This record gives sequence, C-alpha cells and structure tokens, in this order.
Amino acid sequence: MKIEIQITPHPIESGPGLASDFSGVAGAIADFSGAVRDQENGEAITAIEYEAFSPMAENEMRRILESLAETCPCLAARVIHRVGVIPAGEVAIQVVIMARHRDAAFAMLAEFMNRLKQEVPIWKRRALPFNPLLVSPPGATPPAQKRTVSLTEAVAEISSHVTTLQSVPAPLDQAAGRILMETVRATEDQPSHDRSTRDGYAILNNDFSTHFRVVDTLYAADWKPRQLKTGECVRVATGTVLPCENLRVIMQEDIEREGDQIRVGPREAATNIRERGEEMRAGQVVLKAGTRLNAGALALLATVGCTRPQVSPRLKVIHFTTGDELVSPDQKPMPGQIRDSNSILLRGWLRQFPSDLWQHHLPEEFDLAKAVVNEHQSKIQNADVVLISGGASVGDKDFTRALLEFLGFCIVFQRLNLRPGAPTLFGISGVRVAFGLPGNPLAHFVGCHALVAVALAKLTGAPPPAFVHGTLSEAMADAECPRETLWPARCQMTEGKLELAPLRWNSSGDVTCMPEANALIRIPANTAELSVGARVEFLPTNF
Amino acid sequence: MRILLFAQVKDAVGAAEFELKIHGEVDAAGVWRHLIVARSELAPFQKTTRLARNGEYADARARFIDADEVALIPPVSGG
Repeated sequence: MKIEIQITPHPIESGPGLASDFSGVAGAIADFSGAVRDQENGEAITAIEYEAFSPMAENEMRRILESLAETCPCLAARVIHRVGVIPAGEVAIQVVIMARHRDAAFAMLAEFMNRLKQEVPIWKRRALPFNPLLVSPPGATPPAQKRTVSLTEAVAEISSHVTTLQSVPAPLDQAAGRILMETVRATEDQPSHDRSTRDGYAILNNDFSTHFRVVDTLYAADWKPRQLKTGECVRVATGTVLPCENLRVIMQEDIEREGDQIRVGPREAATNIRERGEEMRAGQVVLKAGTRLNAGALALLATVGCTRPQVSPRLKVIHFTTGDELVSPDQKPMPGQIRDSNSILLRGWLRQFPSDLWQHHLPEEFDLAKAVVNEHQSKIQNADVVLISGGASVGDKDFTRALLEFLGFCIVFQRLNLRPGAPTLFGISGVRVAFGLPGNPLAHFVGCHALVAVALAKLTGAPPPAFVHGTLSEAMADAECPRETLWPARCQMTEGKLELAPLRWNSSGDVTCMPEANALIRIPANTAELSVGARVEFLPTNF
Repeated sequence: MRILLFAQVKDAVGAAEFELKIHGEVDAAGVWRHLIVARSELAPFQKTTRLARNGEYADARARFIDADEVALIPPVSGG
C-alpha cells in the first residue's frame, strides 16, 4: 500500500492528489476531512491550537496504516494533519483512502481515525475563546502611514519617547550587569588610617633627632593609638596602622639598634606611609549613576559598604515571532520552511541586559494572532518591551502595526531609510516600548544593536550606544546605496588604531557574517567608494 | 537522557525538554523515579502518561539507558 503522511502548519488544500496514480484501479476513494467546530464544551471558540511530536506522530500513523492493511486491503492512503492555531471551520485532518472496493476503504478509514485518537502523539492544546471585539471588520485596519525616518532621527525619536524606569534596590549578588541609578559616595576614608608601607620605625615627621627610644612594637593587625613625642619611636611592620598622624617611617635598613635605642643616619625623602584617605575621602563620589555594574564596580560597592544599591529593574521582555514558514531549529524544514534563528538570536543578544524574556509564536492570520495575544494580555500589559519579529513590512499578511495598535501602542515611525532593516517599526504606550523588526536575521542583528539598544539604555538609565571612529583596513567598492547602510565588520586594534575589516554579506537574510561581526560601519547614503585607511564611523556591537 | 515534554506536561514543567542522568539500565518505573526526583511536578502525570523511547512507545519490557531520548506522551487528542 502506498502511504503518504504529512504534518503541516499550513492550511490543508483539498485536491485529488493520489487519484491519478490509481485511476481505473481504485473503485472507492474515501475522502474524510475533520474540521474545527466553533463550539467547545458549549462555549463559542475562534480556533484550536494543536501540537504534535511530529517525527513520532508520522511514524505512528504509518505504523497504524500498515497494520490495518493486513486486514483491509487498500491501494493507497494519504493523511495530512495540520498543527498550530487552526481557525474554526478549517480542516485539521484530511484522510484519503483508495481501495478496489468501498468496504475496505470505509473500514480502514474508520479504524484509522479511532486509533489516531488513541495512539498518535498529537494534542489539542487549548481552545481560543471567541471574542467579537477581536474580529476586525473588513477595512478596519487603517492604512499604514508611510513615515520614513533616518537612523539619526530614529535614535532621537526613541530617546525622546522612552521613559527611564523606576530604580529598585538590589543585593550585590543580583546587581551584575544592571545600571546604577544613584550616585554612590564613600562613607569613610580609604584607607581609614595612615599605614606603614615598610618594616621600620615610626617617628614624628618633624622630629630631626638622631637618637630615639623605642616605646612600643606594633604588628600588622594591631590598633594602639598613642601620641608620639620628640625622641620617641615605635617599631612597625608593613601594613601596620600607625599610632597617630604626621609620622614618617624610617626603614629598618637605615638605622642601628641597641637595646631600646636606635640611631638614624641620613633620611630618605619618602615618608613610607600610605595616608588615610589616599584612595578616597569620605563623601567623595566613587560611582556615578548610569554606570553599568561590572565585576570591578561591584567590588568597589562592596568596599564602601553599599550592599543594596539602587539599580535598574530586570527588564520584562516579550518576543513574538510571526510567519508560518518558521519551524523550530530542531526540525528539518519542509520545502518553503526555514528554521527560526531569530528567537535564539534575540535571547543571546538580551543576555547583556538583565532581563526576563518570554517568547511565543503567533499565527499568520491577523484575527488569530489577536486572539492569541489577547490570551496573554496581562503579561503584555506588564512588559517593559514588546518585540515582534517579521510581519513589519507592508505585505498582505504584515500585521505588526495593526497588532501593536490593538495592544495600545502608538506608532512613532514604521520605516527607516536604512539598510538592512528598513521596515522597522517603533511604538510607545506609556512606559512600554515596542519594536517590529524585519524577519531577516541580519536585519534583526542590526535593529537590536542600533535601535532596540537605544531604548533599553534609556529604560535603564544607561548612556546610549555611541558611534566611534576607526579606519578601514580594506577598501569598500560596493557600498553604494541610496539608503544609509550599517555594514557588519570585524574591528580590531592594530598598532594603537581601531581598524575595521568589512565582512561579506549579500542580503539581510545573511547569517554567515554575524558570528565575526563586532562592529557596524555607518556608511552614508550614496557613498561611491571607500578606500583603505578611510576614516569611518562605527557602532561597536560587543559590549 | 534527553527528556521531551508535550502538551499539559510541558506546561506543568515549563520546558519542552531537559536532561536527566541515568546510570546503567533501568525499566519504565526506574525512569519515572528519576523523573520525579528531578521534577516533582511530574508526579501527578505518571498514571496517565506513556513513555516513548527513541520515537516509539515503550512496552512493559523496555529497558532505558542514558543515551536514549525519552518523550513523555500524555493522553493524545489529535484529529
């Protein structure tokens, strides 16, 4: 028996398919479609979301058909099961059985469906409730405004619209990578006392006697204040807290000792003292607001006893992917499909910003996507940042703008005069920020570094990512474009100069240049050619 | 051992897969003991959930080793 099995996220299109192979031989063609009803447990629903363990589900269906073929002699069977969000009224499963006689076809069809519902790892995950407010009447989505901004304008718009979040106190072990949102001052002098930097004898700094009496011996951990008098000295070790101020330490190599008396020869200029407050004075600013807390900054905060600094909160980020062509990276894409690389790209990129990321895939039909986001309204309302990958352009199925407006965002701009990543969209709703990023991975990479990073910096009170200057180590002959370009490059320090090697890329879908890229060269629109050594502006992409 | 989770079991654990360390050879009951030690939230699913070993339902005689991929299959509802 010929068997065809398919599990697909796409709508099932009806067609004869198998018929031609067996025309004339098959006397019975049983064609069954199972559709999603608009009621579930008495409630009106919009759609049902299905999930499958695809490779095993396909094998199980094949196994069931093969075992049924032993008792029901059939010529061919084809099963297509749709997964993902399936709207009410659409087909979830289609089974076509061909046999010489109808009895075998009917028997196989009925028994296959029974066993499928018992054995094949496919699940109805949940019903999406019907909500009349979510169904947009035809033409209700306003035509997309064609507001195109330059990169400079886009950055300025983002900076001016985004509001900095309220700081939170955080223990030091949870503060790494966050932005300090208060000015921290030293509460005491560091070091807190004058300390000897030598093994030797401490005397008054203005005592020019040649003979001294040893009145005490102090070791590193001793703390014995006393006011020295002229002609007196104290034996000290390296690191010892000195007994009073205005002393100097004579190295033990420079004296002669006899009993409790020492004789001092010519003195060196150094006082051999690490003075109180030499490193920082009480009240002095040690870290400014806006500092990213790296390991060194955390150590400094610990030193001054600032154990719960006011820092930026962890960012709550929601990321939606769109596009029915996407499959999980662990699946083999069918023709027309691609593996989703943007989800992990975004997750990896966000690691530098302490954040909690929630990711979800949206169906490609607008009304269904609305139904899905509606399920997660409270999460979305609480998010600081909403990112949508794909669907940002103006194609028939590009609903990012409409979806963000549905979620209450006001769109500030929706197109940049930039390559790659022109169809990038930015919106704002109170303190919430949203970006629609083009689905292509390189455009994503550029959009994250050049635009989303600006918003995250403003949210957390950090300085915005800044362009710096370097020189080209290779000529760029093919940079000309009517749009401004952010060109992926490898930046390295060569003889004290920042040199940039442009990386090869052909389209915004290019992923091969991304692992090497640590800089984006900014090339103004209509730049004909750039020679070796040309001075260029670039954005470092490795913090 | 790579553990794959689906449907309500995936929701309960909050992950689609995780790694489990198994020494030697164990039967299905042994796999469940390890699973519940690693993720106690799996305990209520033991009665209704079937194990699939390397993409096929495991029968009562099945033995599992660390290199196996084991999928937890809660009651199915396709079609």
